[in-house]
Amino acid sequence: MTDNIIQIDHLYKSYGSVRAVQDISFCVKRGELFAFLGINGAGKSTTIHILCGQLAQDSGTVLIDGKDIAHDRKEILRTLGVVFQNSVLDAALTVRDNLKSRAALYGLSGKAFQARLDELKETLDFADLLDRPLVRLSGGQRRRIDIARALLSRPHILILDEPTTGLDPQTRKMLWGVVSRLRKEEGMTVFLTTHYMEEAADADYVVLIDAGKIVAKGTPLELKNSYAGDYVTLYHADEEKVRALGVPYERIRDALRLSLRNTEEATQLILSHPDLFRDYEITKGKLDDVFLAVTGKRLEERT
Amino acid sequence: MTAFLSLTERNLKLFFRDKGMFFTALITPAVLLGLYVAFLGDVYHEIFLSSLPEGLELPQKLLDGLVGGQLVSSILSVSCVTVAFCANFLMVQDRVTGSIRDLRLSPVSPHVVSAAYFLAAYLTTLIICTAAMAVCLIYLAIVGWYLTAADILLMFADILLLSLFGTVLSSIINFFLRSQGQISAVGTIISAGYGFLCGAYMPISSLSEGLRNVISCLPGTYGNSLLRNHAMRSAFDALAAEGVPQPLVEGLMEGMDCTLSFFGHAVSIPVMYAVLCAAIALLIGVYVLLVALLQKKK
Repeated sequence: MTDNIIQIDHLYKSYGSVRAVQDISFCVKRGELFAFLGINGAGKSTTIHILCGQLAQDSGTVLIDGKDIAHDRKEILRTLGVVFQNSVLDAALTVRDNLKSRAALYGLSGKAFQARLDELKETLDFADLLDRPLVRLSGGQRRRIDIARALLSRPHILILDEPTTGLDPQTRKMLWGVVSRLRKEEGMTVFLTTHYMEEAADADYVVLIDAGKIVAKGTPLELKNSYAGDYVTLYHADEEKVRALGVPYERIRDALRLSLRNTEEATQLILSHPDLFRDYEITKGKLDDVFLAVTGKRLEERT
Repeated sequence: MTAFLSLTERNLKLFFRDKGMFFTALITPAVLLGLYVAFLGDVYHEIFLSSLPEGLELPQKLLDGLVGGQLVSSILSVSCVTVAFCANFLMVQDRVTGSIRDLRLSPVSPHVVSAAYFLAAYLTTLIICTAAMAVCLIYLAIVGWYLTAADILLMFADILLLSLFGTVLSSIINFFLRSQGQISAVGTIISAGYGFLCGAYMPISSLSEGLRNVISCLPGTYGNSLLRNHAMRSAFDALAAEGVPQPLVEGLMEGMDCTLSFFGHAVSIPVMYAVLCAAIALLIGVYVLLVALLQKKK
């Protein structure tokens, strides 16, 4: 069994003159939380569509668990669960009818379906919603049913396509709780596309995409170390002395925040001026700093 | 098979739970019924009466049975096609809402998904048209009953065939639709136009020869004529039994589109069935080809 559950090599896809995906290559390791980060229109959805066999690539290969999506589509689809940004279940039908009709697509019916439904309603806490039409559910309740649908077939890979857009903090917390439990208990691989940096910050590996091309990839730490500097937040300091250091800084509510190229430079500075650095903290730059540094663009702010 | 049956069940539930789609499907028969109540019924009464030889008095029940037979056949022949279109709009709505993406993310073949839309639309059309037929039979029993058991069975057979024709025709046209606006536009055109094209709103015999020839090339025309024959034939027999000369009865049957001609050649009932069946087979072939081409393209 290969260590890489997803392997994409030299993927290209164009829509007429628009080159949506250009020479994308990356791999996702079994059981990891993988984040695919980019602004809207960067090429994330096109890549997902190709990954799920909904769209044919112009060239390149997509291997999932060693199988080629171009040849083993049916087999691969059994191992994928997808949560779309917007619910694609049937609003007029009850939760039970929705899940029953989708389970049948994987050959799950009768007692087998009931057993899986019992498991999922426990995991996602929707026992009281089973006989309610989807249209009557809140956004958060609906999202739980979307996740249940994605998990019906016990997928090896859970694809979350911007899953928290428009959700309230409580529902976001619930979603990440479920994802974390699935990873821990079932060793599920999670492929997350998002334009929210705080979601990507918890990932094991991050790929940044812009204008159809991969612009950076690595663990969050590698990315921050490579593309974002460190911040030293200094409390109760004399601003005149800080200015004399010749280091760029900004004034925040009750402190001064100095920008440095890396941790080493920050450490040197602190050791050289122990009288000045008495009450301070060092923080790494965030992924949106990385994204800004790499693309010159800002990721969307959470509203 | 589990997936196919489950998808068909899902499609049926969605249609009958969507009040908008359900009532839209009933608009055309309701409009037709309204037109008959408002004036078409009286017009046809007058046509029948004016065609009769002077001094011949017919029982009111027979006249009502003839006009009722025409109303019933018109409603049923139009409904078989318009209801099928409405039922099949589900496939377009699934594209609009994105549900089709979810269905296609499963290991089930796109052919199964298309076949489930087809079967659900056909069953929906049959359910509604059979219910409509039951209401129509009750209406005929009240105004003037002349039907035999064979007439009723043949009318049901006509509904089976016409519903299949409507389902496959709508499957092909809806295959190309992608938005709610397109659904509305096609729905309106079909609801308003199909009744004229098949001779349900006004007899084809009342149109110009050129138009008659054009309409005689459309298979739906023969479906309408089959239903006319089976809904009115026994009433025409009773008319002849009342002493109306046979040539006049035949003239009335022609005027009501019970007999049709194709560029001057009379079309018998077996040929009408053959045309309808051939059209259905051809359209099914086209639909299967379209689905296969789409899959290949993707």
